[in-house]
Amino acid sequence: MNLTQRHNLLGPALLTLALLLAPLVIPIYWTMILSEILIMGLMAVSFNLLLGYTGLLSFGQGAFFGLGSYSAALMLQAGYQNLFIILLVGMLVALIAALVVGFFSVRLDEIFFAMITLGFGMLFFSIAHNWLEVTGGSDGLPVFNLPSLSLFGLQLTFYAPVNMYYLVFVIVLIGMILLWLIVHSPFGLVLKALRENKHRVSFIGGNVKTLRIVAFAISGAFTGLAGVLFCLFNNMATPEFMHWSFSAKPVIMSVIGGTSVFLGPLFGAGIFFVLEQLIIQYTENWMLFLGIFLVPIVLFFPQGVFGTLRNKFFKRGEK
Amino acid sequence: MISNAVLQIENLGHSYGKFKVIEDISLAIGKGEMSALIGPNGAGKTTFYNAISGKFPPTKGKVLLNNEDITGLPSHRVVDKGMCRSFQITNIFAELTVAENVFSPLIIQQNKHFKPYGNIFKDKQITEKAFHTLEQVGLADRADQVVANLAYGDKRLVEMAIVLARDPSVVLLDEPTAGMNPEETENMISLIKKLAKNSGTTFFITEHDMKVVFSLAEKIYVLHQGHLLAQGNPKEIRANEQVQEAYLGRKVHA
Amino acid sequence: MDILLLNILNGLSWGMLLFLIAVGLSTVFGVMGVLNFAHGSLFMLGAYLCMQAMQYFDSFWFGLLVGPLCAVIVGVLIEKFLLKRIYDRDVSYQLLLTFAILLILDDAVRMIWGSGYHVVDPPAILSGIMSIASQDYPVYRFFLILIGPLIGGLLWSFFHFTKWGKIIRAASFDNIMAEGVGINVPLIYTAVFALGTWLAAFGGALAAPLQSLNPSMGEKIIIESFIVVVVGGMGSFPGAFVGALLLGMLESFGPVFAGRAQMALPYILLAVILLIKPNGLFRKGV
Repeated sequence: MNLTQRHNLLGPALLTLALLLAPLVIPIYWTMILSEILIMGLMAVSFNLLLGYTGLLSFGQGAFFGLGSYSAALMLQAGYQNLFIILLVGMLVALIAALVVGFFSVRLDEIFFAMITLGFGMLFFSIAHNWLEVTGGSDGLPVFNLPSLSLFGLQLTFYAPVNMYYLVFVIVLIGMILLWLIVHSPFGLVLKALRENKHRVSFIGGNVKTLRIVAFAISGAFTGLAGVLFCLFNNMATPEFMHWSFSAKPVIMSVIGGTSVFLGPLFGAGIFFVLEQLIIQYTENWMLFLGIFLVPIVLFFPQGVFGTLRNKFFKRGEK
Repeated sequence: MISNAVLQIENLGHSYGKFKVIEDISLAIGKGEMSALIGPNGAGKTTFYNAISGKFPPTKGKVLLNNEDITGLPSHRVVDKGMCRSFQITNIFAELTVAENVFSPLIIQQNKHFKPYGNIFKDKQITEKAFHTLEQVGLADRADQVVANLAYGDKRLVEMAIVLARDPSVVLLDEPTAGMNPEETENMISLIKKLAKNSGTTFFITEHDMKVVFSLAEKIYVLHQGHLLAQGNPKEIRANEQVQEAYLGRKVHA
Repeated sequence: MDILLLNILNGLSWGMLLFLIAVGLSTVFGVMGVLNFAHGSLFMLGAYLCMQAMQYFDSFWFGLLVGPLCAVIVGVLIEKFLLKRIYDRDVSYQLLLTFAILLILDDAVRMIWGSGYHVVDPPAILSGIMSIASQDYPVYRFFLILIGPLIGGLLWSFFHFTKWGKIIRAASFDNIMAEGVGINVPLIYTAVFALGTWLAAFGGALAAPLQSLNPSMGEKIIIESFIVVVVGGMGSFPGAFVGALLLGMLESFGPVFAGRAQMALPYILLAVILLIKPNGLFRKGV
């Protein structure tokens, strides 16, 4: 019996190389856009762990993104300067919050799961918006001192956009690799089984709730990581990232890119930002065109742009 | 009381409010004793299976598996204890491959389902057991195929493989030949006979097809309007007048 | 005492308005199984079209009549060309499609009428202050308290006592059977969506004199409608009524008791209901 799992890693490797070299050839403005694409791509790929792999539509991922952001901002304001600690604490805070939210949410299905995650997300939003003393209210928390990194005797700072880009690039790359490993592990296979037929999973001995909570927590942790990065990139933590309109973004990006392909949501993020940049040059009604663009995608390309292309040009293989 | 029965049901009943769907069902299945549960539609077979396999706890009675009380345990715990069930309407993981379908129960059985790294295909414990199961049902050559693309009969084989992968003590087969043509049905009968002989698993089947029941079962339980009407070997059941009147009389004799 | 009565009246008037809007959302979900994210945008569209019609006809009542009907035309087009294609699809696609429609409608409103605020005055008969139990209260708000049960009662009678109402309810429980019996299910769906749109738009037109019109009106109301529908029970009529009143009272009394935290109250209510009674306070049923 020929049981092998062949991974087409050439594509991702080329992509990584392209992203590594990009700042050398593109204008600074686009380097900054690319940083945002990578951060949102990480958020979208970790969101897709829930949608594409576990079959759960969460409409409240913004809460964990925001928690990552705020914990980073608070730590920086309090004087902590260690980059690793800030990244890890942000992930940890988001992880714990996701465990709590997940514990209450996973007993529900489909539309109700979407509703309760939306509700929890907005609950966090209202706290962030109104708890002026801690979160700065709707003004948010500014960050003036970015952490620096001592590596091989060099002191690296991240105030320059290109330096920030490479920081984001490395962290996102690590995050993607970890998520890729998770998705291709035994845990990942059982998650896929959950998406396919959660009812049957309990009849092969799996505790559906526990599996879902763990998936939700992992997704939350990496979303929080993206939030930390964004706080550093943006020099700011604001409540708007916890609002449901922001939580809709990873959903849109994943569907545009394709939920059945691991890197689909990253491409979705790319398409989203490029589209935005193109459209706002001509009109300020970018939402209108986003909506118009989304409609045929949802109606006619259920696999997303990337998923459909992949199915057309490649035989079904492993992701 | 310790008995030799691998599956023992004592006074099992389930009601919805005042409405009693099944009542007072007691039976004992010995290890390796191929048994069948028959009864007309609405007799309560599905409710019975659901109540003992963990879909919901029965409102009355006890279920003992290998002398251990498993009454009311949720389905994933029942599977842990060694009883698996198949489904009348094929209930598999459609977009996964045949191999992945069989890996899934094994991953859970070997407690690796929270392991967030590692290539399943390199895990000999899992792949060898999966290969063995697929060979037994005859799907080893199609391991890489996506299940959704298989023929109906092959999908039922996948269903069978998923159920058997964990080497359970008891397997509840819910209408294993549902929707099959005569050739596929014959193949399924031979397969079940072979599996029963070569493994330590005890099979408990419900079926509508009397031919299947009489070719396979050593002991037959007849369910009628929620009660156990009769139990015995095929000869006794055929001869039982009550059963003939309630059920068999409407069927062509096998 | 004054504060108590005032808050009760405010809770009732806002609750009744919320009821009209939410019952449209709930009915569409109950019959077609689609949760329309763009429902709030249709509410907003109704308000703006009412304002526009008022400018043409110089009458609030004409605006109230014509505005929502124009919005219904938009709703029917949406249903016929877009929604129809996703009825049998996964819920994530439904949410995304209706979200896309929300984006289009919200920005379209911004394009046509601008980002600024617009103010609409209530009609002469309904403006001014009246006295309720020696408490001064705006006449228009009291009018809302009355119109809610009126429309609600008409709707309920329609669904329970008329032939078409019963047919619609039959289609919602089992549309395959309904089709088998010769009921034109696609037509029913279009009609129900039109009704839902009308309720949202009518609610928007009614809301116009209450709050200044702006292009983000829709966002707030859709979340509130969601909460009402989930709290009351998807597809449940009395549920929408009770849920809306509950939320109306919560929003009215919230600032009094909870200060800054009042913004979180509706979401706490949502979470509590979803955890204790996920099907809502009333069981599903049109």
